[in-house]
Amino acid sequence: MNNWEYAESIESEKIVNIEKKYGHFIEGEFVSPNSKKYLDTISPSTEEVLSSISIGDEKDVDFAVNAAKEGVKQWSKTSPSERSKYLFKLARLIQERSREFAVLESLDGGKPIKESRDFDLPQVAQNFFYYAGWADKIDLAWGSGISKPYGVVGQIIPWNFPLLMLSWKVAPALATGNTVVLKPAETTPLTALLFAELCDEIGLPKGVFNLVTGDGTTGSHLVNHKDIKKIAFTGSTSVGKYIQKSLSGRDVGLTLELGGKAANIVYNDAALDEAVDGVVNGIFFNQGHVCCAGSRLLVQEDIHDVFIDKLEKRMQTLRVGNPLDKNTDIGAINSKDQLDKINELVNEGVNDGGELFQIECELPKNGFWFKPSLFTGVQANYKIATEEIFGPVLTTLTFRTPDEAVEIANNTEYGLSAGIWTEKGSKILWTADRLDAGVVWANTFNKFDPASPFGGYKESGFGREGGRHGLLSYLKASS
Amino acid sequence: MTEVKKTYKHYVDGKFVRSESGKVYAIDLKNEKYEIPLTSKKDLRDAVTSSKAGFAKWNSLTMYNKSQILYRLSEMIEGNKESYIILLQDHGLSKSEAKNDIENSINTIIWYAGLVDKWEQLTGNLNPVAGEYFNISHQEPIGVTFTLNSNSISLDDLVKSFLPALTVGCSVINFSEKNAVIALKLSEDINNSDFPAGSLNIIAGKFENIVEDVGGHVEIKHAVIYDDISKESKTIIGEKGSESVKRISFQPPTSGLSSILPFIETKTVWHPKGK
Amino acid sequence: MNTKLSINNTVDWTTTEDMVNNVKIDEVGVLDRVSLLATRSIKRESKLNALQKIISMCDLTTLEGEDTEGKIIQMSSKAIAPDPNDESVPSAAAVCVYPALVSTAKKTVKDSSVKVASVSSYFPSGQAPIESKISDTKFAINEGADEIDIVINRKAFFEGDYKKVYEEIKSLKDVCGDIHLKTILEIGELKTYENIKKASVIALCAGSDFIKTSTGKISNGSSREACLVMARTVREFQSYGYGMRGIKVAGGIRSAKDAIRYLVIINEELGTSWLSPDYFRFGASSLLDDVLRQIKKLKTNAYQSSYYFPRG
Repeated sequence: MNNWEYAESIESEKIVNIEKKYGHFIEGEFVSPNSKKYLDTISPSTEEVLSSISIGDEKDVDFAVNAAKEGVKQWSKTSPSERSKYLFKLARLIQERSREFAVLESLDGGKPIKESRDFDLPQVAQNFFYYAGWADKIDLAWGSGISKPYGVVGQIIPWNFPLLMLSWKVAPALATGNTVVLKPAETTPLTALLFAELCDEIGLPKGVFNLVTGDGTTGSHLVNHKDIKKIAFTGSTSVGKYIQKSLSGRDVGLTLELGGKAANIVYNDAALDEAVDGVVNGIFFNQGHVCCAGSRLLVQEDIHDVFIDKLEKRMQTLRVGNPLDKNTDIGAINSKDQLDKINELVNEGVNDGGELFQIECELPKNGFWFKPSLFTGVQANYKIATEEIFGPVLTTLTFRTPDEAVEIANNTEYGLSAGIWTEKGSKILWTADRLDAGVVWANTFNKFDPASPFGGYKESGFGREGGRHGLLSYLKASS
Repeated sequence: MTEVKKTYKHYVDGKFVRSESGKVYAIDLKNEKYEIPLTSKKDLRDAVTSSKAGFAKWNSLTMYNKSQILYRLSEMIEGNKESYIILLQDHGLSKSEAKNDIENSINTIIWYAGLVDKWEQLTGNLNPVAGEYFNISHQEPIGVTFTLNSNSISLDDLVKSFLPALTVGCSVINFSEKNAVIALKLSEDINNSDFPAGSLNIIAGKFENIVEDVGGHVEIKHAVIYDDISKESKTIIGEKGSESVKRISFQPPTSGLSSILPFIETKTVWHPKGK
Repeated sequence: MNTKLSINNTVDWTTTEDMVNNVKIDEVGVLDRVSLLATRSIKRESKLNALQKIISMCDLTTLEGEDTEGKIIQMSSKAIAPDPNDESVPSAAAVCVYPALVSTAKKTVKDSSVKVASVSSYFPSGQAPIESKISDTKFAINEGADEIDIVINRKAFFEGDYKKVYEEIKSLKDVCGDIHLKTILEIGELKTYENIKKASVIALCAGSDFIKTSTGKISNGSSREACLVMARTVREFQSYGYGMRGIKVAGGIRSAKDAIRYLVIINEELGTSWLSPDYFRFGASSLLDDVLRQIKKLKTNAYQSSYYFPRG
C-alpha cells in the first residue's frame, strides 16, 4: 500500500508531422540540396530514424549566402517598425504551435517534455517578443553611433537547446537589420526546419532567413564564405577556436559562446536544502548538456558530508526515461558520440581514484542513456575536474575559505558561469566580484531571461546574447 | 660631422628602461634624430608581467582617484604644450596643426577623465527579468590590454589608443612604431601623473617582430590594433590569438561610447528576492 | 549533534535553541521546487491509488460554534464509510472536533479504525494561560480523544520567547503521554518560511508527533510551500536520529488535485514511508467529497455529482 509509483503520462507524438526528407530553406522556399546528400536524424531515446536532412555543400551554402545578400536589400528597405511586426508575428505563431515544437524538440533531441514545454518554448517565444520590440528602438540602445547592421550573418547553433539557441541568434540579428544563414546542429535540425515554415507562413521577405542543414563541413563552408560579414557560433571551445582561426586576417565579425566548467560554490552558511535543489538543477537540467552547467560542486569542507548525503538522496528522486513522459526529469543523451564521450571521461574519473555515486534506476534498452552521477574524493588535477563533460555528471571539490573557493573556481580556462550559495549578502557580493564568469547565479542556478545578457569570460567566448548587450553582437559602430 | 642622436627609453613598470637586447632603431625627424629601443620578445614579456600587476593596482583605485590621475595627465601636457608643438612640427605638422592636435588631445584626456566614474552607468543595467529575481549586468575591465598605436602624427590619436582601455580599468601596453618619439616623450608626463607602476607601459619597436607573441601570450587578454597592419600580421595575430580565444579588435582611434565597449566584460548576477 | 531523546521524544532546550538559530531558508528556492513538483502528472492507477490514500489520511473536521451532536454523529458515520456503495473506499483516518463533542464522536466511531481527534489548548488563538491549556487538554483526553491538536503560542513566538513556545508544547505533551500530539503552527500568521521552519523545529523538539499547518480559522490556510518546508524539517529531524514524525496539512484544501500535489511533495521529499495515515494527514471537510467524485469518475469515466454521496 505504501509504494506509490507514478504511472506513465506520455505526451502524444501525433501532433507533429515529420516529412520523410527535408531540403534547405533558401530564399523563402525549401529546395533540394545541390549535394544530393542526406543524413538521418534519429530519436536518441529510441534510435528510430525520424527523417533525412540535406547535407549542405559549398554550393548550397553559396546559394544561401547569395539569397541572404539579396535579402539585405529587402530587409534594409523594410522599416524598423515593420521588421518589429514580423518578429512579433513569429513570436505569436511560436506560441500557438508551441506544443508541436516541444514534442518535436523532445523527439529529436531527447530532452524531457517538461523542459521543452515549460522552459525552451516559453523562452523562445519570449525571446522573439523581446527583440521584436528592440527593432524600432536600436538608436536608443547604445546611441546612434552604434546602430549599423553587419549585413549577412552566418549562425551556427548547437544541439542542446536547438530552438532556443535559434531564437537567441535569429531574433536579435533580424531585429538589428541583418539577414541570416543558419546552420542547425546535425543531430537536432527538426525544430529549425519547422521554424523555417513559420517564416514562410508570415511572409517574411525572401532571403531574410535562410537555413542550410548539414554537418561540420557545412558549417565550415559557411565560415569560409567570402560574403559573410559576421559569424555567431555557439558550441564547443575547440570548434570555436577553429572558427576564430579560420577567420584570421578577414574582416568578419565574430561572437563565440563556448564551453564551461562552472563552479557552484556552497558555503557552510547556505540554506542547504535549497542549495541541494539548485545544485541538482545546475547539473542535471537537460541531462547536463548545458554549457553553463554547474559541473564543479565546490562545497565547504565542514559541510561536505551532510551536503553530499542530502544531495545523493535528492538525486535518487530523479526520474530517468522516456523524454515524452511528463514525469521524466532526465531524458536521453543526445547522441551516441556524446554518450561515448561521457563514458570515457567518467571511466577516467574512476581510474584516477574518484568515488562515483550513480542513482539506482532502470535505463531503457534502446537509445542513449546515462545515470545521474556524482563524483566525490576528486583532486583538482583529475580530468573530470577540469574538462567539460557535457553530461549528467557532477564533480565535487572542497574548500576551506572564501578566498580558496574563488581561487579554485577561477582555476580553469573557462569563464561562462558560476554559482554562489550563502545566506550572507556581503559574501555573495564579495564572491561575485571575484569570479571570472559572465553569469553569476547567487542562491539560484540556470535561470534565463531574454532581458538578461549571457556569455563568457576567458575561453568561454566573447560577446553577449540577451538583453541590451545582446544587440551589440549584431551592431557595428558607424564611422 | 658626427650626428648627435637623442635617445629615448621605454617606460615600463614606472621606470625608464632600455631594451634588454640593447638593440635600437632610428627615427629621423626634420631637425632631430632619435635612437629608440627596439622591443624584443623578452621586453614584451616583461611588459606583460608589469601590466598584470599594474592591472590589479589600477583597477583597485577608486573611480575618483583614476579620474584625477587622467586629469593630472592633461595638466602635465598643458604645462609642456610648447615642447609638444615643437616636436610635432619636427614631425612635419604646421604650427597651427600641431597646436590644434595638442589641444584636441588635452580635450580628449579630459573627456575620458570625466567618463571614468560614469561609463558603467552608461553600459551596465538592471535587467527586468521575470519572476522574483534581482538581475544586474555589472561591467568589468577585461584586464591586460595591448594596443598598437596608429602611425599618424598625432598626440590626440596616441592618447585615444590607451585612454578607452584605461578608463574602464584595464592596464595598457601601448606600442608605437614610426611615431614612437611622441609616445616616449609623453611617457615623461605619464610618469609625473601618479599612474601606479605598470598600469600604462609605453614601448616601441617593429610590430612585426612581436606580433606572434602578442597573439600568443595568454596573459594579454585583449589586443587592439589602431593601425593599418598587413594582412599577414592580421592573420598571425588572429591565428595565435585563437588558441586562447583572445579578444582582438581592429579599429581606428575614436572617442565616444563605442571606443570603450571592446574593453568591457559584462558580468550578469542573479539573486532571488524573498523574505 | 546530540541524538539522545528525553522522555516523550523531546530534545533538550539547548540543542533546540541551536537548531532554531541555525535555520536557513531561501523563499524563492522553495517556491521553485514546489512549482516544479506541481508539474508531476498523476494518471490512471497511480491516481486511484493516491485518491484512496487521501481518504485514509483524512481527518474529517468540523470546528464550529454551531456544531451539535447530530452533526458530529453524521460526520463520524461518514468517516467510517465515506462511500457505502464502494467497498474499496477506505475509512477516513479520524474525525476532528471540539473537546465538548469528543464523547459523542467516540460513541459513534466505536471500534472502527476511525480515531477521534480533539483540538485543545484554547484553539484557535491559544491566548490563555498554560494552566487553562493543560486542563482543556486533560478534559479532551478524559472524554476519550485518541489524538490532540494544539496550537503554538504565537504571542510568545513573535515576542521572541521561543523557550516559552517550546515549554508549553512540552508540558502539553506530558499531559498527552502516548496520545498523539499534533501541533498547529498557524502558518498563515507566521508568514515567512523562516518562521515556519523555526516553529517546526520547536514543535518537533518539544515532542510533537505531528506538526500541522493551520487551524482553518483564518483566511490563509495551508500551502504546499509550507508543507515542503515542514517536510524538510521533519527529514532533517530524522537525519539527526530523532525518528520519524508526521505532518498534517489543513485549511483550504478542497480539491483532489490539490491534495495529490501535497502527496507528491511528501513522496519526493520524504519518501513513500511517509505516505501513510501514521505520518501524513489532511484536515478537511469538503475535500472528501471531491476525492469520492474523482474515484467514481476514474471507475466509471463519467463526471459525478455530490448528491451521489452521503452528507458528512
